[in-house]
Amino acid sequence: MGISICDVSKAFSSFPAVKNVELEIPTGDFVALLGPSGSGKTTLLRMIAGLESLDSGKILFNGLDYTNKTVKERKVGFVFQHYALFRHMTIFENVAFGLKVRPRRNRPSKREIKEKVHELLRLVQLEHLVDRYPSQLSGGQRQRIALARALAVEPEVLLLDEPFGALDAKVRQELRHWLREIHQKLNITTVFVTHDQEEALEMADTIVVMNKGMVEQIGSPEEVYHHPANAFVYSFLGRVNEITGKALSETTLRVTDLEKGTVGYIRPHEIVLKKTSEGLGMLVEVVHIHSVGSTVRMQLKRRDTDDLYEAELTIETYKELGAVSKGDLLHAEFNNIVVFENEPGTSHSLQEQTKFTAAFN
Amino acid sequence: MAAKQKSRRVLPGFGLSMGYTVVYLSLIILIPLAALLLKATTLNFGQTWNTVTEPRVVASYKLTLFTSLVAAIVNAVFGTLIAWVLVRYQFWGKRVIDALVDLPFALPTAVAGIALTTIYAPNGWIGQYFEAMGVKVAYTQYGIIIALTFIGLPFVVRSVQPVLQDLDQQYEEAASTLGAGSGQIFFKVIFPAIFPAVLTGFALAFARALGEYGSVVFISGNMPMKTEIVPLLIITKLEQYNYGGAAAIAVVMLGFSFILLFLINFWQWRTAKKHQVT
Repeated sequence: MGISICDVSKAFSSFPAVKNVELEIPTGDFVALLGPSGSGKTTLLRMIAGLESLDSGKILFNGLDYTNKTVKERKVGFVFQHYALFRHMTIFENVAFGLKVRPRRNRPSKREIKEKVHELLRLVQLEHLVDRYPSQLSGGQRQRIALARALAVEPEVLLLDEPFGALDAKVRQELRHWLREIHQKLNITTVFVTHDQEEALEMADTIVVMNKGMVEQIGSPEEVYHHPANAFVYSFLGRVNEITGKALSETTLRVTDLEKGTVGYIRPHEIVLKKTSEGLGMLVEVVHIHSVGSTVRMQLKRRDTDDLYEAELTIETYKELGAVSKGDLLHAEFNNIVVFENEPGTSHSLQEQTKFTAAFN
Repeated sequence: MAAKQKSRRVLPGFGLSMGYTVVYLSLIILIPLAALLLKATTLNFGQTWNTVTEPRVVASYKLTLFTSLVAAIVNAVFGTLIAWVLVRYQFWGKRVIDALVDLPFALPTAVAGIALTTIYAPNGWIGQYFEAMGVKVAYTQYGIIIALTFIGLPFVVRSVQPVLQDLDQQYEEAASTLGAGSGQIFFKVIFPAIFPAVLTGFALAFARALGEYGSVVFISGNMPMKTEIVPLLIITKLEQYNYGGAAAIAVVMLGFSFILLFLINFWQWRTAKKHQVT
């Protein structure tokens, strides 16, 4: 089922949670609503489900106006961050709930319900837990049951609110793949909310980046990562170094006229480190080295101004560079600085700004 | 219990607090009850049996148990409703109503009894309308039930209220996304979650009603075989200086209460256990 969100706004008392959001979700798409907390992503998801009312705008399902339909009428599957499994029911009863509450004439027979539940439990690979209570399950298992329960009513839209937010890293990783597989198998239009950029990049077909109740960018993972629409999207999707003030014109040729407040960005893995100077490099001191699996992160301090940067190297390039230890001096090249023009909204860079101007004036 | 592997607690003092608990319970509950049992043994078996199986006494057991049970059930239903309203809705005067719930505890029971009698008497404010319909409230079993409902009201409200407060709305939301209607959500999702608390409140209200004397004697009319409750018979025996007889009846009543409360608590424990293992 395709979903159209037309100019939707919502405020909680005086706080605007969602502002004039326009979004088109085609049938079968796998969409991530990505943003920091308080960006309105969960509110938007809950509005699609009908759990939250709209102040203005419209929500269409397959072109039909669903704005005033009740939750029950929308037939959406909803998965909560904290699972919301019914504690007094066994796993079987939980999954069967959506079928058992149907009016008598649409209700499947006991045998059909049983078959359906077992089929779903097979899908989530937890058939052996059918007689347990939710409290006897681990977090990952509970979330899988919650998904099975949502799928039992055969929804045409599946909505997930930070589905893996409460789980530990390894289980989260597993469930991401698994959810992707299920989406491929069933091909239900799926929308999930996350604040984890990695999760969004890894799972979604389309990423909707939200900030302060507004949509910043909509696009495929490649688009939003490699062609971010603005500084917010760029800095939200991955680690980033900010370069402001005079340092910016010193390190890149792309910025010729330096306006106040212009910020340059570079990802840590795009900083090239060398032991000998070849032109544009600046002298930095290694403050800290930590290796994280296959990558090595280095904290660098600019020699003359004390500005801090983070560089990320693969283990291979780190070996090529040769032995580096804390306190060593290196030459850093900033080749790929990105600058966004006319961005008064990026208030998060201002703090750094004062630090730099203090250093330079 | 697990003396071998002593687990470390953040707060020490098990010995002290347990010792205090035992002494306290002994002084307040166990010793007085033991004295009661001793007093009851001053009669020989035949006398005891005759006292406790006297038709008038048996009728009072039945009446007390029946009216207490009805009052506790009424409180379970309406107490849950009041708790629901107080937790789920915001309205003007909510705090006042919240405070009113505790009033039956604060009011001397005799005052409550007299007030209720005045209102429900055949010529009272409310009693006259019942009288017109041919129903007598005061001086009948109905009157006793009303008095017992009054004094037991806070128990259910106060035990259900916090549980309902803690019940996350996400369960209701989950049920509604699965297609459940409001009735189904209440009976299949909310009620099972608050049921142990309702039972606790029910047991407390029931226990309170079994022992109630002050408010009931005014409204019941105290007609032998019809509206005499057990506590009243005990007082009557005491006034006749028949301490042994009073104690015997008290012991029987104590036995009934203990068994019933034990059963309710067992039931409550089982329901609660079912979905709160972690």
